[in-house]
Amino acid sequence: MKISRRLAIGAGAGAAVIGAGALGVEYANRETPEPPAPPATDAQGHVVWRNWSGIRYSYPQLRAAPATEDEMAQILKTAPAPIRVVGAGHSFMPLVPTSGTLVSLDALAGLVDVDGERATAWAGTRLGDLGPALAGKGRAMANLPDINKQSIGGALGTATHGTGKHLPALHGDVTALRLATVDGNILECSAEKNADIFNAARVSLGSLGTITQVQLTTIPNKRLHRRVWLESFDDTLSKAEERWSTHRNFEFYAVPFTGLAANITHDETDEPARPRGPETDSQFLDLLKTLRNLFGFSNTMRKAAARVLLASAEANPEEAVDEGWKLLSTERPIRFNEMEFHLPAAAQLAALREVVDTIEAKRPDVFFPIEARRIAPDDAWLSPFQGGPRGSIAVHTYYKDDYEFMFRVVQPILRRHGGRPHWGKLNSLTGADFASLYPRWNDFLALRRRLDPQGRLLNDYLKGIFGV
Amino acid sequence: MHDRGGAGRVVVMKRTILSVALLLVLAGCNQPSRPSDEQLASFKPADARLAALYVQSCKACHANANSGAPLVHDPAAWEARWAKGLPMLVDHAIVGFQAMPAGGQCAACTAKDYEGLIRFMADHEGTP
Repeated sequence: MKISRRLAIGAGAGAAVIGAGALGVEYANRETPEPPAPPATDAQGHVVWRNWSGIRYSYPQLRAAPATEDEMAQILKTAPAPIRVVGAGHSFMPLVPTSGTLVSLDALAGLVDVDGERATAWAGTRLGDLGPALAGKGRAMANLPDINKQSIGGALGTATHGTGKHLPALHGDVTALRLATVDGNILECSAEKNADIFNAARVSLGSLGTITQVQLTTIPNKRLHRRVWLESFDDTLSKAEERWSTHRNFEFYAVPFTGLAANITHDETDEPARPRGPETDSQFLDLLKTLRNLFGFSNTMRKAAARVLLASAEANPEEAVDEGWKLLSTERPIRFNEMEFHLPAAAQLAALREVVDTIEAKRPDVFFPIEARRIAPDDAWLSPFQGGPRGSIAVHTYYKDDYEFMFRVVQPILRRHGGRPHWGKLNSLTGADFASLYPRWNDFLALRRRLDPQGRLLNDYLKGIFGV
Repeated sequence: MHDRGGAGRVVVMKRTILSVALLLVLAGCNQPSRPSDEQLASFKPADARLAALYVQSCKACHANANSGAPLVHDPAAWEARWAKGLPMLVDHAIVGFQAMPAGGQCAACTAKDYEGLIRFMADHEGTP
């Protein structure tokens, strides 16, 4: 959730005043109880692994951190199954949980080489480390997601993306990769070599093997001008298509129960750097939570209070100039759960309006803004952006709050508008559903059977959707 | 009339906010000092394995004064936590607690690593 520091600072103090004067700070700041945690170890003494938001966990009997490709290949061949690789643990779907072997690629990290536009990195490299490493060579990834903790391998595996009408998801910039397979081999894959595996492996949920190294197309490292401003949600909806067409990166957050939207643009500039400063989005989220706690019983009062508190932020856009890797991706200190679907671009805004209206009518407990982004198409077999441009809609809930409602209230809207779920984010789709959404689904299943006939890489969730 | 009333409300709200801000600043005067941002950025465990794990999985939050996490080598942040006992701190680190994601999302860390990392961050490396 990266929105605006000025917006947060100005409105946060106002929220404290309202909270103290109305029903008391304690009432305003009341918290949902901490969700129950699983035991730290199981009966056999295996230490728990749990995802970032806390809703997925398992007790792997073996943990491995290979330092070479050969070690990785050997693990795939001999370690206890299921063998699952974890990056930053930011997936909300049960992609990682395993009772077998949990593999970290943290020791297979770093920039390997930069040759012209092509950069090669180990798959365990975190995005937050890849940015400065590339910048040191005068290069940059064209686009980034809004969290920088993911490993590049994990980000590819789930089709992680940023925003920009002419910018594909991360896997769209991959030109070659090396894949360790369960027979202990390393396959070199590109459009020219093992092309089918290349097109399947770019988005493959760790089910074909382990990507150890990726080669990416990069761009010159340039400064971007970041602008963040609030305006009415209606105005944003009416101008969104134009903004996607005219800005390098454009996204917006519909702020439910306020009638407002936070708009964010990034455009290339030669202006001198004006750094963004410390992250303060958490304060903005705290304000929205306080408004929920105080006025959740009345949408009218909640909206009126929000408009008063956010008036100064509406009049004062936040601006910054810096290298793209410093602005596009950030830390996310507040944990949440998330559902995100990628819709045909033409359906995105109508669907978003419906989602916001429905949440405001049925779920006053929601306070996180709802994110809308645009992604250019690519041709990976399981890419949600395969076949045409997609518009994403992402609904978040605080990690302590109920998220199950999203399956009943939000998912049906996004599916009705033709959405494909983000592979790492909450959804309840089955293999049959995916078969109807992806033209190359059966080709992918056949290739998976060929590369991993024993299903050593499949946990229960993957066996379910692949019909194994 | 509406404009004047709105302006009046804005002035009152601004004054109230300034008063609250002043109180917060004054309250902040009594807080024990924490390490400077430069110190936060430079702290690192002496042990090479722990240092690598710290940089990979802990530093982003525990050396960031805006993250809300207890800061490395900040006595005010760690005193009450340390009093709860190392086993409870290790348990919280492994399963996650409040803003802390489980294990700091360090898939390679062992229970012994967490113990060493907590001792380092709390500045109790030599304490039994």
